[in-house]
Amino acid sequence: MGGRIGGIALFVLAATLQTVAAQNPQNPEPPGQPSVTVLGSKEVQSIVGSEIRSAADEDMGRIVDVLVDGSGQARAAIIDFGGFLGVGSRKIAVDWKALHFVPAASARYRIVLELTKDQVKPAPEYKEGKPTIVLGAAGNLEPLP
Amino acid sequence: MAGIGALSPSIAAADAGAEVPHPSRRSLHGLDWFVFFVADVQAGFGPFVAVYLTTQKWTQFDIGLVMTVAGLVALVGQVPGGALVDAARSERVVAGAAIAAIGGSALAYAMWPIFPVVLAAASLQAAASCALGPAIAAISLGLVGHAAIGERFGRNARFASIGAGLSAGVMGACGYFFSARSVFFVTAALLVPALLVLRRLAVEEIDPERAHGSLPPAARPPIDLKSLLQKRALLIFGACLLLFHLANAAMLPLMGSVLTMRSSQWATVLIGACLVGPQLVVAAFSPWVGRQAERWGRRPLLIAGFAALPVRGLLFATVSDPYLLVAVQLLDGLTGAVLAVMVPLTIADLTQGTGRFNLTQGLVGTMTGLGASFSPTFAGFVSDTFGSNYAFFGLAIIAVLGLAVVSLLMPETRDAGRDGER
Repeated sequence: MGGRIGGIALFVLAATLQTVAAQNPQNPEPPGQPSVTVLGSKEVQSIVGSEIRSAADEDMGRIVDVLVDGSGQARAAIIDFGGFLGVGSRKIAVDWKALHFVPAASARYRIVLELTKDQVKPAPEYKEGKPTIVLGAAGNLEPLP
Repeated sequence: MAGIGALSPSIAAADAGAEVPHPSRRSLHGLDWFVFFVADVQAGFGPFVAVYLTTQKWTQFDIGLVMTVAGLVALVGQVPGGALVDAARSERVVAGAAIAAIGGSALAYAMWPIFPVVLAAASLQAAASCALGPAIAAISLGLVGHAAIGERFGRNARFASIGAGLSAGVMGACGYFFSARSVFFVTAALLVPALLVLRRLAVEEIDPERAHGSLPPAARPPIDLKSLLQKRALLIFGACLLLFHLANAAMLPLMGSVLTMRSSQWATVLIGACLVGPQLVVAAFSPWVGRQAERWGRRPLLIAGFAALPVRGLLFATVSDPYLLVAVQLLDGLTGAVLAVMVPLTIADLTQGTGRFNLTQGLVGTMTGLGASFSPTFAGFVSDTFGSNYAFFGLAIIAVLGLAVVSLLMPETRDAGRDGER
Protein backbone atom coordinates (compact mmCIF):
# COMPACT_ATOMS: atom_id res chain seq x y z
CA MET A 1 0.00 0.00 0.00
CA GLY A 2 2.70 2.42 1.07
CA GLY A 3 4.72 1.45 -1.96
CA ARG A 4 1.85 2.29 -4.25
CA ILE A 5 1.33 5.72 -2.74
CA GLY A 6 5.09 6.31 -3.00
CA GLY A 7 4.91 5.25 -6.63
CA ILE A 8 2.08 7.65 -7.38
CA ALA A 9 3.87 10.47 -5.58
CA LEU A 10 6.97 9.77 -7.63
CA PHE A 11 4.95 9.77 -10.82
CA VAL A 12 3.38 13.12 -9.98
CA LEU A 13 6.78 14.54 -9.12
CA ALA A 14 8.26 13.25 -12.37
CA ALA A 15 5.34 14.66 -14.35
CA THR A 16 5.77 18.06 -12.70
CA LEU A 17 9.48 18.04 -13.41
CA GLN A 18 8.79 17.13 -17.01
CA THR A 19 6.36 20.02 -17.40
CA VAL A 20 8.85 22.43 -15.88
CA ALA A 21 11.56 21.13 -18.15
CA ALA A 22 9.28 21.39 -21.17
CA GLN A 23 8.15 24.91 -20.37
CA ASN A 24 11.54 26.37 -19.58
CA PRO A 25 13.00 26.58 -23.09
CA GLN A 26 9.87 28.29 -24.40
CA ASN A 27 9.90 30.80 -21.56
CA PRO A 28 10.11 34.25 -23.24
CA GLU A 29 11.54 35.82 -20.09
CA PRO A 30 15.32 35.29 -20.06
CA PRO A 31 16.24 33.39 -16.91
CA GLY A 32 18.57 35.60 -14.83
CA GLN A 33 21.92 35.96 -16.56
CA PRO A 34 24.77 34.30 -14.62
CA SER A 35 26.57 36.97 -12.68
CA VAL A 36 30.14 37.76 -13.62
CA THR A 37 32.83 38.61 -11.14
CA VAL A 38 36.24 39.74 -12.22
CA LEU A 39 39.11 38.59 -10.02
CA GLY A 40 42.53 40.14 -10.45
CA SER A 41 45.33 37.79 -11.37
CA LYS A 42 47.11 38.72 -8.15
CA GLU A 43 43.95 38.43 -6.11
CA VAL A 44 43.40 34.69 -6.55
CA GLN A 45 45.54 31.80 -7.66
CA SER A 46 45.22 28.14 -8.48
CA ILE A 47 47.03 26.18 -5.83
CA VAL A 48 47.27 22.52 -6.88
CA GLY A 49 50.90 21.90 -7.71
CA SER A 50 52.07 25.05 -5.91
CA GLU A 51 55.15 24.97 -3.74
CA ILE A 52 54.74 25.74 -0.09
CA ARG A 53 57.36 27.01 2.35
CA SER A 54 57.60 27.02 6.12
CA ALA A 55 57.82 30.27 8.09
CA ALA A 56 61.58 29.66 8.23
CA ASP A 57 61.53 29.39 4.40
CA GLU A 58 62.13 25.62 4.32
CA ASP A 59 60.84 23.66 1.32
CA MET A 60 57.66 21.94 2.50
CA GLY A 61 56.70 20.24 -0.76
CA ARG A 62 53.72 20.91 -2.99
CA ILE A 63 49.96 20.93 -2.62
CA VAL A 64 48.55 17.98 -4.53
CA ASP A 65 44.93 17.99 -3.33
CA VAL A 66 42.44 19.82 -1.13
CA LEU A 67 39.88 18.13 1.14
CA VAL A 68 36.52 19.79 1.68
CA ASP A 69 33.68 18.90 4.05
CA GLY A 70 29.95 18.59 3.31
CA SER A 71 29.46 22.37 3.29
CA GLY A 72 32.27 22.90 0.81
CA GLN A 73 34.62 24.37 3.39
CA ALA A 74 38.25 23.50 2.80
CA ARG A 75 39.41 21.42 5.77
CA ALA A 76 42.84 20.15 4.83
CA ALA A 77 45.43 20.33 2.09
CA ILE A 78 47.33 17.24 1.00
CA ILE A 79 51.00 18.04 0.59
CA ASP A 80 53.63 15.89 -1.06
CA PHE A 81 56.40 16.27 1.48
CA GLY A 82 60.06 15.35 1.82
CA GLY A 83 62.20 12.84 0.01
CA PHE A 84 64.58 13.19 -2.87
CA LEU A 85 64.04 12.23 -6.50
CA GLY A 86 60.73 10.64 -5.63
CA VAL A 87 62.15 8.37 -2.92
CA GLY A 88 60.90 8.88 0.61
CA SER A 89 58.24 11.50 -0.14
CA ARG A 90 54.89 11.12 1.59
CA LYS A 91 51.45 12.66 1.20
CA ILE A 92 50.47 14.36 4.42
CA ALA A 93 47.22 16.12 5.33
CA VAL A 94 47.71 19.53 6.95
CA ASP A 95 45.02 21.70 8.48
CA TRP A 96 43.71 24.27 6.02
CA LYS A 97 43.94 26.90 8.77
CA ALA A 98 47.68 26.25 9.08
CA LEU A 99 48.18 27.49 5.52
CA HIS A 100 48.67 31.18 4.91
CA PHE A 101 48.30 32.64 1.47
CA VAL A 102 50.57 35.65 1.41
CA PRO A 103 50.16 38.05 -1.45
CA ALA A 104 53.81 38.95 -1.68
CA ALA A 105 54.81 42.48 -2.61
CA SER A 106 56.47 40.98 -5.66
CA ALA A 107 54.58 39.34 -8.50
CA ARG A 108 53.99 35.93 -6.91
CA TYR A 109 51.67 34.60 -4.31
CA ARG A 110 53.42 32.66 -1.61
CA ILE A 111 51.93 29.87 0.41
CA VAL A 112 53.34 29.53 3.90
CA LEU A 113 52.68 26.55 6.16
CA GLU A 114 52.67 27.35 9.84
CA LEU A 115 54.64 24.20 10.69
CA THR A 116 58.29 23.24 10.60
CA LYS A 117 59.85 20.28 8.83
CA ASP A 118 60.46 18.62 12.18
CA GLN A 119 56.78 18.91 13.04
CA VAL A 120 55.60 17.47 9.73
CA LYS A 121 58.23 14.69 9.63
CA PRO A 122 56.50 12.15 11.96
CA ALA A 123 53.02 12.63 10.48
CA PRO A 124 51.43 9.49 9.03
CA GLU A 125 50.79 9.21 5.31
CA TYR A 126 47.42 10.30 3.93
CA LYS A 127 45.51 7.38 2.42
CA GLU A 128 42.31 7.81 0.48
CA GLY A 129 39.32 6.00 1.93
CA LYS A 130 40.80 5.81 5.42
CA PRO A 131 40.26 8.25 8.29
CA THR A 132 42.45 11.27 7.64
CA ILE A 133 44.90 12.37 10.29
CA VAL A 134 45.27 16.12 9.89
CA LEU A 135 48.31 17.94 11.16
CA GLY A 136 47.15 21.09 12.98
CA ALA A 137 48.87 24.44 13.29
CA ALA A 138 50.38 23.67 16.69
CA GLY A 139 51.86 20.47 15.31
CA ASN A 140 49.24 18.25 16.95
CA LEU A 141 47.43 15.47 15.12
CA GLU A 142 43.66 15.59 14.96
CA PRO A 143 41.52 13.01 13.18
CA LEU A 144 39.08 14.44 10.68
CA PRO A 145 35.59 12.96 11.22
CA MET B 1 87.03 -27.24 -20.06
CA ALA B 2 88.31 -26.89 -16.52
CA GLY B 3 90.87 -24.29 -15.65
CA ILE B 4 90.04 -21.79 -18.35
CA GLY B 5 90.91 -18.42 -16.96
CA ALA B 6 92.03 -15.18 -18.49
CA LEU B 7 92.76 -16.98 -21.74
CA SER B 8 89.22 -18.24 -22.01
CA PRO B 9 87.94 -16.24 -25.02
CA SER B 10 90.06 -17.92 -27.66
CA ILE B 11 89.89 -21.39 -26.11
CA ALA B 12 86.17 -21.34 -25.46
CA ALA B 13 85.38 -19.97 -28.88
CA ALA B 14 87.50 -22.65 -30.47
CA ASP B 15 85.59 -25.20 -28.38
CA ALA B 16 82.30 -23.93 -29.67
CA GLY B 17 83.58 -24.16 -33.19
CA ALA B 18 82.92 -20.49 -33.86
CA GLU B 19 85.34 -18.03 -35.31
CA VAL B 20 86.50 -15.45 -32.79
CA PRO B 21 84.98 -12.06 -33.44
CA HIS B 22 87.37 -9.13 -33.42
CA PRO B 23 85.23 -6.05 -32.92
CA SER B 24 87.03 -2.75 -33.42
CA ARG B 25 87.83 -0.46 -30.50
CA ARG B 26 85.68 2.17 -32.15
CA SER B 27 82.60 -0.08 -31.99
CA LEU B 28 83.31 -1.20 -28.44
CA HIS B 29 83.71 2.36 -27.20
CA GLY B 30 80.66 3.37 -29.21
CA LEU B 31 78.65 0.75 -27.32
CA ASP B 32 80.03 2.00 -23.98
CA TRP B 33 78.80 5.49 -24.66
CA PHE B 34 75.52 4.38 -26.19
CA VAL B 35 74.72 2.48 -22.98
CA PHE B 36 75.73 5.59 -21.03
CA PHE B 37 73.40 7.91 -22.97
CA VAL B 38 70.52 5.44 -22.92
CA ALA B 39 70.75 5.38 -19.13
CA ASP B 40 70.74 9.21 -19.20
CA VAL B 41 67.65 9.38 -21.36
CA GLN B 42 65.80 6.78 -19.29
CA ALA B 43 66.65 8.55 -16.02
CA GLY B 44 64.43 11.47 -17.00
CA PHE B 45 61.40 9.23 -16.87
CA GLY B 46 61.90 7.93 -13.38
CA PRO B 47 60.84 10.15 -10.55
CA PHE B 48 60.47 13.36 -12.51
CA VAL B 49 57.24 12.47 -14.28
CA ALA B 50 55.08 12.64 -11.14
CA VAL B 51 56.72 15.87 -9.97
CA TYR B 52 56.40 17.50 -13.37
CA LEU B 53 52.76 16.54 -13.86
CA THR B 54 51.99 17.80 -10.35
CA THR B 55 53.47 21.18 -11.24
CA GLN B 56 51.28 21.11 -14.36
CA LYS B 57 48.27 20.88 -12.01
CA TRP B 58 47.47 17.27 -12.78
CA THR B 59 45.43 15.43 -10.20
CA GLN B 60 46.97 12.49 -8.38
CA PHE B 61 44.36 10.25 -9.95
CA ASP B 62 45.39 11.12 -13.51
CA ILE B 63 49.09 10.77 -12.67
CA GLY B 64 48.41 7.38 -11.13
CA LEU B 65 46.41 6.30 -14.18
CA VAL B 66 49.22 7.23 -16.58
CA MET B 67 51.77 5.42 -14.39
CA THR B 68 49.59 2.30 -14.23
CA VAL B 69 49.06 2.19 -17.99
CA ALA B 70 52.79 2.69 -18.62
CA GLY B 71 53.57 -0.06 -16.10
CA LEU B 72 51.20 -2.48 -17.84
CA VAL B 73 52.68 -1.69 -21.26
CA ALA B 74 56.17 -2.23 -19.84
CA LEU B 75 55.09 -5.64 -18.53
CA VAL B 76 53.08 -6.87 -21.51
CA GLY B 77 55.58 -5.49 -24.04
CA GLN B 78 58.57 -7.50 -22.79
CA VAL B 79 57.97 -10.64 -24.85
CA PRO B 80 56.98 -8.86 -28.09
CA GLY B 81 59.95 -6.50 -27.61
CA GLY B 82 62.35 -9.43 -27.32
CA ALA B 83 60.74 -11.23 -30.25
CA LEU B 84 61.09 -8.08 -32.35
CA VAL B 85 64.82 -7.91 -31.64
CA ASP B 86 65.20 -11.61 -32.51
CA ALA B 87 63.40 -11.04 -35.79
CA ALA B 88 65.36 -7.92 -36.70
CA ARG B 89 68.26 -8.12 -39.12
CA SER B 90 69.85 -4.96 -37.74
CA GLU B 91 69.92 -4.56 -33.98
CA ARG B 92 71.38 -1.10 -34.50
CA VAL B 93 68.26 0.12 -36.30
CA VAL B 94 65.99 -1.26 -33.56
CA ALA B 95 68.08 0.43 -30.87
CA GLY B 96 68.12 3.72 -32.78
CA ALA B 97 64.37 3.68 -33.39
CA ALA B 98 63.66 2.80 -29.75
CA ILE B 99 65.85 5.56 -28.32
CA ALA B 100 64.37 8.04 -30.82
CA ALA B 101 60.87 7.08 -29.66
CA ILE B 102 61.90 7.60 -26.04
CA GLY B 103 63.45 11.00 -26.81
CA GLY B 104 60.30 11.96 -28.72
CA SER B 105 58.18 10.96 -25.73
CA ALA B 106 60.25 13.25 -23.52
CA LEU B 107 59.68 16.12 -25.93
CA ALA B 108 55.94 15.41 -25.97
CA TYR B 109 55.85 15.52 -22.16
CA ALA B 110 57.61 18.87 -22.18
CA MET B 111 55.58 20.48 -24.96
CA TRP B 112 52.02 19.25 -24.41
CA PRO B 113 51.36 18.09 -20.84
CA ILE B 114 47.75 17.19 -21.60
CA PHE B 115 46.21 13.83 -20.81
CA PRO B 116 46.00 12.08 -24.22
CA VAL B 117 49.49 13.19 -25.26
CA VAL B 118 51.10 12.20 -21.97
CA LEU B 119 49.26 8.87 -21.92
CA ALA B 120 50.46 8.10 -25.45
CA ALA B 121 54.00 9.29 -24.70
CA ALA B 122 54.21 7.23 -21.51
CA SER B 123 52.98 4.11 -23.35
CA LEU B 124 55.40 4.72 -26.23
CA GLN B 125 58.31 5.16 -23.81
CA ALA B 126 57.40 1.93 -22.01
CA ALA B 127 57.00 -0.01 -25.26
CA ALA B 128 60.27 1.31 -26.72
CA SER B 129 62.12 0.40 -23.52
CA CYS B 130 60.92 -3.19 -23.95
CA ALA B 131 62.84 -3.39 -27.24
CA LEU B 132 65.78 -1.21 -26.21
CA GLY B 133 66.98 -3.39 -23.33
CA PRO B 134 67.20 -6.60 -25.38
CA ALA B 135 68.60 -4.64 -28.35
CA ILE B 136 71.59 -3.45 -26.31
CA ALA B 137 72.26 -6.97 -25.03
CA ALA B 138 71.89 -8.28 -28.59
CA ILE B 139 74.33 -5.72 -30.00
CA SER B 140 76.79 -6.69 -27.25
CA LEU B 141 76.48 -10.37 -28.03
CA GLY B 142 76.60 -9.75 -31.77
CA LEU B 143 79.81 -7.76 -31.34
CA VAL B 144 81.87 -9.90 -28.97
CA GLY B 145 80.30 -13.37 -29.11
CA HIS B 146 79.53 -15.77 -26.27
CA ALA B 147 83.11 -16.30 -25.19
CA ALA B 148 83.73 -12.68 -24.19
CA ILE B 149 80.20 -11.64 -23.28
CA GLY B 150 80.60 -11.77 -19.47
CA GLU B 151 83.07 -8.94 -19.35
CA ARG B 152 81.10 -7.01 -21.97
CA PHE B 153 77.92 -7.14 -19.84
CA GLY B 154 80.08 -5.96 -16.95
CA ARG B 155 81.17 -2.93 -18.96
CA ASN B 156 77.56 -2.25 -19.99
CA ALA B 157 76.51 -2.30 -16.34
CA ARG B 158 79.34 0.07 -15.43
CA PHE B 159 78.44 2.64 -18.08
CA ALA B 160 74.72 2.32 -17.39
CA SER B 161 75.12 3.01 -13.70
CA ILE B 162 77.51 5.91 -14.26
CA GLY B 163 75.00 7.33 -16.74
CA ALA B 164 72.04 6.82 -14.43
CA GLY B 165 73.83 8.30 -11.43
CA LEU B 166 75.21 11.33 -13.25
CA SER B 167 72.01 12.21 -15.06
CA ALA B 168 69.90 11.81 -11.93
CA GLY B 169 72.17 14.42 -10.36
CA VAL B 170 72.14 16.77 -13.35
CA MET B 171 68.39 16.43 -13.88
CA GLY B 172 67.73 16.84 -10.16
CA ALA B 173 69.66 20.10 -10.33
CA CYS B 174 67.71 21.18 -13.44
CA GLY B 175 64.45 20.46 -11.67
CA TYR B 176 65.58 22.38 -8.61
CA PHE B 177 67.11 25.46 -10.24
CA PHE B 178 64.96 25.77 -13.37
CA SER B 179 61.74 23.78 -13.59
CA ALA B 180 60.47 20.24 -13.68
CA ARG B 181 59.70 20.84 -17.34
CA SER B 182 63.36 21.56 -18.19
CA VAL B 183 64.21 17.97 -17.22
CA PHE B 184 62.26 16.72 -20.22
CA PHE B 185 63.91 19.16 -22.63
CA VAL B 186 67.32 17.98 -21.37
CA THR B 187 66.19 14.36 -21.80
CA ALA B 188 65.05 14.99 -25.37
CA ALA B 189 68.31 16.80 -26.17
CA LEU B 190 70.34 13.80 -24.95
CA LEU B 191 68.88 11.87 -27.87
CA VAL B 192 71.36 13.63 -30.19
CA PRO B 193 74.59 12.31 -28.61
CA ALA B 194 72.93 8.90 -28.16
CA LEU B 195 72.24 8.61 -31.89
CA LEU B 196 75.69 9.98 -32.78
CA VAL B 197 77.53 7.35 -30.72
CA LEU B 198 75.22 4.64 -32.08
CA ARG B 199 76.47 5.56 -35.57
CA ARG B 200 80.01 4.75 -34.43
CA LEU B 201 79.06 1.09 -34.09
CA ALA B 202 80.11 -0.68 -37.26
CA VAL B 203 77.10 -2.56 -38.65
CA GLU B 204 79.22 -5.27 -40.27
CA GLU B 205 80.76 -6.18 -36.90
CA ILE B 206 77.38 -6.94 -35.32
CA ASP B 207 76.57 -10.44 -36.51
CA PRO B 208 72.76 -10.73 -36.36
CA GLU B 209 72.85 -14.53 -35.96
CA ARG B 210 75.22 -14.25 -33.03
CA ALA B 211 73.07 -11.41 -31.60
CA HIS B 212 70.05 -13.74 -31.56
CA GLY B 213 71.98 -16.46 -29.77
CA SER B 214 72.52 -18.67 -32.80
CA LEU B 215 75.91 -20.12 -33.57
CA PRO B 216 77.01 -18.56 -36.87
CA PRO B 217 78.66 -21.49 -38.65
CA ALA B 218 75.61 -23.72 -38.33
CA ALA B 219 72.82 -21.17 -38.30
CA ARG B 220 69.78 -23.34 -37.83
CA PRO B 221 66.27 -21.90 -37.64
CA PRO B 222 65.41 -20.71 -34.12
CA ILE B 223 63.81 -23.28 -31.83
CA ASP B 224 60.09 -22.95 -31.12
CA LEU B 225 58.62 -21.36 -28.03
CA LYS B 226 57.49 -24.68 -26.57
CA SER B 227 60.92 -26.23 -26.42
CA LEU B 228 62.26 -22.96 -25.05
CA LEU B 229 59.77 -23.11 -22.19
CA GLN B 230 60.75 -26.72 -21.50
CA LYS B 231 64.24 -25.70 -20.50
CA ARG B 232 64.16 -26.41 -16.77
CA ALA B 233 67.08 -24.14 -15.87
CA LEU B 234 65.38 -21.23 -17.59
CA LEU B 235 62.16 -21.66 -15.62
CA ILE B 236 64.10 -21.96 -12.37
CA PHE B 237 66.07 -18.84 -13.22
CA GLY B 238 62.85 -16.92 -13.98
CA ALA B 239 61.35 -18.04 -10.67
CA CYS B 240 64.52 -16.92 -8.83
CA LEU B 241 64.28 -13.48 -10.39
CA LEU B 242 60.57 -13.20 -9.64
CA LEU B 243 61.24 -13.90 -5.96
CA PHE B 244 64.25 -11.60 -5.99
CA HIS B 245 62.33 -8.61 -7.33
CA LEU B 246 59.32 -9.34 -5.16
CA ALA B 247 61.69 -8.92 -2.22
CA ASN B 248 63.83 -6.15 -3.67
CA ALA B 249 61.63 -3.59 -5.43
CA ALA B 250 59.90 -2.20 -2.34
CA MET B 251 62.96 -2.15 -0.13
CA LEU B 252 64.47 1.17 -1.19
CA PRO B 253 61.19 3.16 -1.27
CA LEU B 254 60.22 1.74 2.12
CA MET B 255 63.64 2.57 3.52
CA GLY B 256 63.37 6.07 2.04
CA SER B 257 60.15 6.79 3.87
CA VAL B 258 61.57 5.38 7.11
CA LEU B 259 64.59 7.64 6.65
CA THR B 260 62.51 10.77 6.07
CA MET B 261 60.49 10.03 9.20
CA ARG B 262 63.59 9.73 11.35
CA SER B 263 65.79 12.50 10.05
CA SER B 264 64.53 15.74 8.61
CA GLN B 265 67.54 17.93 8.15
CA TRP B 266 69.74 15.44 6.36
CA ALA B 267 67.01 13.29 4.83
CA THR B 268 67.49 14.69 1.34
CA VAL B 269 71.25 14.20 1.42
CA LEU B 270 70.94 10.72 2.94
CA ILE B 271 68.43 9.59 0.32
CA GLY B 272 70.69 11.04 -2.37
CA ALA B 273 73.52 8.94 -0.94
CA CYS B 274 71.25 5.87 -0.91
CA LEU B 275 70.58 6.35 -4.61
CA VAL B 276 74.09 7.24 -5.78
CA GLY B 277 76.14 5.02 -3.44
CA PRO B 278 74.97 1.69 -4.92
CA GLN B 279 75.45 3.08 -8.45
CA LEU B 280 79.10 3.75 -7.62
CA VAL B 281 79.47 0.21 -6.29
CA VAL B 282 77.95 -1.20 -9.49
CA ALA B 283 80.23 0.97 -11.63
CA ALA B 284 83.28 -0.21 -9.68
CA PHE B 285 82.48 -3.92 -9.46
CA SER B 286 80.48 -5.01 -12.48
CA PRO B 287 83.38 -5.54 -14.94
CA TRP B 288 85.11 -7.59 -12.24
CA VAL B 289 81.91 -9.63 -11.81
CA GLY B 290 81.88 -10.26 -15.56
CA ARG B 291 85.48 -11.52 -15.51
CA GLN B 292 85.01 -13.71 -12.44
CA ALA B 293 81.88 -15.23 -13.96
CA GLU B 294 84.11 -16.76 -16.63
CA ARG B 295 86.71 -17.92 -14.10
CA TRP B 296 84.57 -19.14 -11.21
CA GLY B 297 81.36 -19.91 -13.06
CA ARG B 298 77.99 -18.25 -12.56
CA ARG B 299 76.73 -20.01 -9.44
CA PRO B 300 79.03 -18.56 -6.75
CA LEU B 301 78.39 -15.01 -7.92
CA LEU B 302 74.63 -15.49 -8.26
CA ILE B 303 74.46 -17.00 -4.78
CA ALA B 304 76.50 -14.10 -3.35
CA GLY B 305 74.25 -11.53 -5.02
CA PHE B 306 71.07 -13.25 -3.84
CA ALA B 307 72.48 -13.67 -0.33
CA ALA B 308 73.09 -9.93 0.08
CA LEU B 309 69.36 -9.20 -0.25
CA PRO B 310 68.00 -10.96 2.88
CA VAL B 311 70.93 -9.52 4.83
CA ARG B 312 69.92 -6.06 3.68
CA GLY B 313 66.28 -6.67 4.62
CA LEU B 314 67.19 -7.94 8.09
CA LEU B 315 69.54 -5.02 8.72
CA PHE B 316 66.91 -2.50 7.58
CA ALA B 317 64.49 -4.10 10.02
CA THR B 318 66.88 -3.88 12.96
CA VAL B 319 69.19 -0.91 12.41
CA SER B 320 67.72 2.48 13.28
CA ASP B 321 70.62 4.90 12.90
CA PRO B 322 70.07 6.81 9.62
CA TYR B 323 73.78 6.84 8.72
CA LEU B 324 74.09 3.08 9.20
CA LEU B 325 71.03 2.62 6.99
CA VAL B 326 72.90 4.34 4.17
CA ALA B 327 75.85 1.99 4.71
CA VAL B 328 73.50 -1.02 4.56
CA GLN B 329 72.06 0.31 1.33
CA LEU B 330 75.51 -0.12 -0.25
CA LEU B 331 74.74 -3.87 -0.26
CA ASP B 332 72.23 -2.98 -2.96
CA GLY B 333 75.18 -2.04 -5.16
CA LEU B 334 76.73 -5.47 -4.66
CA THR B 335 73.50 -7.22 -5.61
CA GLY B 336 72.98 -4.75 -8.44
CA ALA B 337 76.41 -5.43 -9.93
CA VAL B 338 75.83 -9.19 -9.82
CA LEU B 339 72.32 -9.05 -11.27
CA ALA B 340 73.17 -6.54 -14.01
CA VAL B 341 75.81 -8.92 -15.34
CA MET B 342 74.42 -12.33 -14.46
CA VAL B 343 70.88 -11.91 -15.80
CA PRO B 344 71.82 -11.33 -19.45
CA LEU B 345 74.82 -13.64 -19.11
CA THR B 346 72.81 -16.59 -17.77
CA ILE B 347 70.20 -16.06 -20.46
CA ALA B 348 72.94 -15.97 -23.10
CA ASP B 349 74.32 -19.24 -21.67
CA LEU B 350 70.95 -20.97 -21.69
CA THR B 351 69.92 -19.82 -25.13
CA GLN B 352 73.21 -20.44 -26.90
CA GLY B 353 72.41 -22.05 -30.22
CA THR B 354 68.65 -21.46 -29.94
CA GLY B 355 68.34 -18.18 -31.84
CA ARG B 356 65.99 -16.98 -29.08
CA PHE B 357 68.30 -14.94 -26.86
CA ASN B 358 66.16 -11.79 -26.97
CA LEU B 359 62.76 -13.45 -26.74
CA THR B 360 64.06 -15.21 -23.63
CA GLN B 361 65.19 -11.88 -22.23
CA GLY B 362 61.61 -10.72 -22.74
CA LEU B 363 60.24 -13.79 -20.91
CA VAL B 364 62.61 -13.31 -18.00
CA GLY B 365 61.88 -9.57 -18.04
CA THR B 366 58.18 -10.36 -17.64
CA MET B 367 58.91 -12.50 -14.57
CA THR B 368 61.07 -9.69 -13.18
CA GLY B 369 58.34 -7.13 -13.84
CA LEU B 370 55.68 -9.29 -12.17
CA GLY B 371 57.78 -9.63 -9.04
CA ALA B 372 58.62 -5.93 -8.96
CA SER B 373 55.04 -4.80 -9.44
CA PHE B 374 53.63 -6.87 -6.57
CA SER B 375 56.43 -5.93 -4.22
CA PRO B 376 55.15 -2.47 -3.18
CA THR B 377 51.62 -3.84 -2.69
CA PHE B 378 52.90 -6.55 -0.37
CA ALA B 379 55.29 -4.27 1.53
CA GLY B 380 52.70 -1.50 1.77
CA PHE B 381 50.11 -3.88 3.21
CA VAL B 382 52.47 -5.35 5.81
CA SER B 383 53.84 -1.91 6.67
CA ASP B 384 50.35 -0.42 7.18
CA THR B 385 49.14 -3.35 9.26
CA PHE B 386 52.17 -4.29 11.35
CA GLY B 387 54.76 -1.56 10.81
CA SER B 388 57.75 -1.08 8.57
CA ASN B 389 60.06 -3.43 10.52
CA TYR B 390 57.75 -6.34 9.80
CA ALA B 391 57.58 -5.30 6.17
CA PHE B 392 61.38 -5.55 5.99
CA PHE B 393 61.22 -8.97 7.70
CA GLY B 394 58.60 -10.10 5.21
CA LEU B 395 60.72 -8.97 2.28
CA ALA B 396 63.75 -10.69 3.82
CA ILE B 397 61.83 -13.98 4.08
CA ILE B 398 60.94 -13.81 0.37
CA ALA B 399 64.59 -13.04 -0.34
CA VAL B 400 65.63 -16.15 1.62
CA LEU B 401 63.24 -18.19 -0.55
CA GLY B 402 64.90 -16.75 -3.64
CA LEU B 403 68.33 -17.58 -2.24
CA ALA B 404 67.19 -21.14 -1.48
CA VAL B 405 65.90 -21.67 -5.02
CA VAL B 406 69.07 -20.26 -6.56
CA SER B 407 71.43 -22.27 -4.39
CA LEU B 408 69.52 -25.58 -4.38
CA LEU B 409 67.97 -25.77 -7.85
CA MET B 410 69.81 -23.43 -10.20
CA PRO B 411 72.47 -25.32 -12.18
CA GLU B 412 75.80 -23.89 -13.29
CA THR B 413 75.26 -22.50 -16.77
CA ARG B 414 78.76 -21.48 -17.87
CA ASP B 415 79.24 -24.48 -20.06
CA ALA B 416 75.57 -25.10 -20.87
CA GLY B 417 75.66 -24.03 -24.50
CA ARG B 418 79.04 -25.59 -25.22
CA ASP B 419 77.99 -28.97 -23.85
CA GLY B 420 74.77 -28.74 -25.82
CA GLU B 421 76.80 -28.45 -29.00
CA ARG B 422 78.46 -31.78 -28.54
